[in-house]
Amino acid sequence: MSALKVTGLIKHFGDVKAVDGLDLDVEKGEFFALLGPSASGKTTSFRTICGIEAPDSGSIFLDGQDMTNSPMRDRGVAMVFQTFALYPHLSIRENLEFPLLQMKLGKAEISKRVGETAELLKLSHTLDRKPGTASGGEQQRIAIGRALIRHPELLLLDEPLTNLDAKLRHDTRAEFKRIHRERGITIIYATPDELEALTLGDRIGVLKDGKMVQVGTPDELYEAPDNTYVAGMVGSPRINLIDATRKGTDANPEIAAPFGDYSGGSWMQALKDFPIGEQLIFGIRPHEIVPVENRADFQGPTFDAEVHMTEPLGDVVILDLIANQSRLKMVLPEEQATAYQVGMKMTCGFDVGSTQLFAKETGTVIR
Amino acid sequence: MRGFLDWIMDPKRRGAMLIAPAIILLFVMNIFPLMWSFGLSFFHYKASSMKPPSFAGLYYYEKVLSDPVVWERFQTTALIVSLSVLVQMIFGFALALLFSKKFPLRREIMMLVLTPMMLSFVAVGVFFKLFYEPTFGLVGQAFKYITGETLILLSTKWGAIAGIVIADAWMWTPFVMLLVLAGLVSVPDYLYEAAEVDRATKWERFKTVTFPYVKGLLLLALLFRTIETFKLFDVVYIITAGGPGTSTETIAVYVYRMAFQFFKTSQSSALSYILLFVVIVLTNLYLYFVNQREQET
Repeated sequence: MSALKVTGLIKHFGDVKAVDGLDLDVEKGEFFALLGPSASGKTTSFRTICGIEAPDSGSIFLDGQDMTNSPMRDRGVAMVFQTFALYPHLSIRENLEFPLLQMKLGKAEISKRVGETAELLKLSHTLDRKPGTASGGEQQRIAIGRALIRHPELLLLDEPLTNLDAKLRHDTRAEFKRIHRERGITIIYATPDELEALTLGDRIGVLKDGKMVQVGTPDELYEAPDNTYVAGMVGSPRINLIDATRKGTDANPEIAAPFGDYSGGSWMQALKDFPIGEQLIFGIRPHEIVPVENRADFQGPTFDAEVHMTEPLGDVVILDLIANQSRLKMVLPEEQATAYQVGMKMTCGFDVGSTQLFAKETGTVIR
Repeated sequence: MRGFLDWIMDPKRRGAMLIAPAIILLFVMNIFPLMWSFGLSFFHYKASSMKPPSFAGLYYYEKVLSDPVVWERFQTTALIVSLSVLVQMIFGFALALLFSKKFPLRREIMMLVLTPMMLSFVAVGVFFKLFYEPTFGLVGQAFKYITGETLILLSTKWGAIAGIVIADAWMWTPFVMLLVLAGLVSVPDYLYEAAEVDRATKWERFKTVTFPYVKGLLLLALLFRTIETFKLFDVVYIITAGGPGTSTETIAVYVYRMAFQFFKTSQSSALSYILLFVVIVLTNLYLYFVNQREQET
């Protein structure tokens, strides 16, 4: 059963199409990541789902019930705001108690839940202070606590880590996973950061211009993106997208990339439908490119390249290559990368089976 | 002559020279009379007689403080202050809530609402005196039109007090409104949204989100208006001149009459300083709260 089902949701602000026909189906107990750059409609979707904004059209079902026009009070949705939105004049304890007081719970239950939540989020020592005196990480946890304490059926997290520093972001990410596992609630998590989406989401929905572009598990999105947008969004460093052309014969298609002609990928069959000369985009993940010592020993296709730049990232190094005027990235473990210096010539190889092919005009995948 | 100009325009004393006229004016018009009247409050002296002043010590302070009339005037003042400030606070708050919303012609209407505050006391006094005029005044005519009877508002104690309170509150409600409005617009929208997601009712949202932002400013408005209304003179003097009888004679009007009708110069000086003392206490209270507020934010 789906905890949240959104169909054809539209919300425009004047000429701005913030949400433009969004479909979304989130299973009960799922950790769903909503991935999209800023202004792709994440926040507006959330605001419409929890009822702050009324949609222009479309419907919202919570637990199978049509809640499109229901007041916020009836929705059972909790949301953590990007700004945290803590009540500055209430103590941290009162901030946590606030939603419970609105639910008219008894004193004993309230203090029990505050204790539990404070424990869970390591806030017990700060309860009597004002949120203004708390650190960024603490404020963030208070905001989460205030949402969790209601035991909501659905929790919306709107870019909750953007205001934190890198280390805290890492720790809190782990915290989210733990809370989700322990509480078993449904979480929808909006983020512009693919790493957050990939590590947290059971499934990821990729948003573009207020529309859902693709929904899938992290593996599905990584290995079989539906279009160049998703391919570029998921995976770091970014996938190499290289202009190519359809060639070969009708029965035996090939593609011509700047550094070689290839055939044999999972796209072979579908490529037959495209005319010769069609503009394509050839996608190779940086991780799939390997250095080749001896061409004769390597199974797949190879190409020659020159090292243009190196970006050491600690345990791995990103090599920027130029192969026949086309730029590509590859990733090597640090100890292997030391052999390659800027300006050096090298031979690279990859497995055609792991490559992606897209139509240039529409950006959609060919497979 | 050349030497004198050079001397006076020397950078060392140029600054002092340039502000000297203002300082001299301030001293002659403000500081000197203040100190002079303070001195006079310790002497037997009548501005209307030629007799030279003779030392009286604290005689006039004793006299003023033990004078039952002074206490009556204080009570009258307190009554008018509390009524007027109460009305200002209530209407000021209500108007601020109204103007914190967006509606057509909001700016223009707000300008109109703010106008009374910018008028002179005398003008406001004259306006209302004419409004209350039984035969041709606006209020008198309206009353006659509706009830068929003639309303002589200022002929009774409570009517006169109401008349003064309405005039003063009309003039100063916008001031309270401005202060409260400043608080209201400083409340971030996301707090209201968060409270709504937390399922708070309208009243709860007001109590938890809105009010704390306005509380400090409301207190400031209260003190500010109390201090100002305490010194209320012009409006009272013009509308009722303290009447009927002495039922609306505020302490400020009393000081004026004592000084310029009965020429009890020393006694009125003493009373003025007692009044000043009260205002200083209130002002310090005000400053204390301003500091508190600064520490909070």
